Amino acid sequence: MSGDRGAAAPGPADEPGDDDPAANDPGADDRGAGDPGADDPGLARERTDLAWTRSSIAFFGLGVAILKFRPAAGIPILAIAAVTWLLGRAARPGSQRIASRRVLLVTVAVSALALVSLVLTLAGPSSNGLRP
Amino acid sequence: MRETGPVARARTADKERITIVSDNATRGAEQGRQPDARFTMANERTFLAWSRTSLALVVGGLAIAQLLPPFAGVPWGRSAIATPLILLGAVLPVLSYLEWRTNQKSIERGARLGSSRLPGILAVTITVVALLAAAVDIYSRVRSR
Repeated sequence: MSGDRGAAAPGPADEPGDDDPAANDPGADDRGAGDPGADDPGLARERTDLAWTRSSIAFFGLGVAILKFRPAAGIPILAIAAVTWLLGRAARPGSQRIASRRVLLVTVAVSALALVSLVLTLAGPSSNGLRP
Repeated sequence: MRETGPVARARTADKERITIVSDNATRGAEQGRQPDARFTMANERTFLAWSRTSLALVVGGLAIAQLLPPFAGVPWGRSAIATPLILLGAVLPVLSYLEWRTNQKSIERGARLGSSRLPGILAVTITVVALLAAAVDIYSRVRSR
């Protein structure tokens, strides 16, 4: 993943694992903080990966909770959780198209979930709640 | 294009970093490529945070509609509280996606980022729902007395 981009797009998006960023990037020696890799004091990449993990866990928690009441609805949400986790791991925001697509995917997933919930709330059967 | 090297070295460390970051953003815009990846990532994290907020709203709405015992004498009470929450949970991801896209383009051009309207929408909705919940609860207690 870092190999194909290293030569094409020398710059701040370089992977920290690149062999020698200075060789194909004239600005590397005075850039320092521009690289989101090991030298980044803000740990942008780790924080982003963790944000994706958190989002996946949010889906996962919701899926498990719904699985208890409506198994048929819980399984697709667990699948969304798995996909979110994979998206966070696999696609780094190096490619504009991939970044745009995965963000759009999360948008569609959350909105669809909300719309299904809305229909359920308005038209679904009325529950008696959890009475002790 | 990159004249900051000697200039930046003469400055303090913090100033140097800011100069380098903004310089990288400009350079990315000139090349028509991605600017500083940290801006892109921060933008994405903001979007993800809004998505999680939406999920929380949906979960809260579902819990009110499905798990809460009905209000005595107010059969529509739970739906009235849950619907705005879930509706906001459906709208927020779309709005935050549009905002993400706008910010992404601004970052690429090296332009200013606009201010977000989402916190205001969220704050107003939650306040209204909270007041509504209080009103429904009080109404239910008064009626069933």
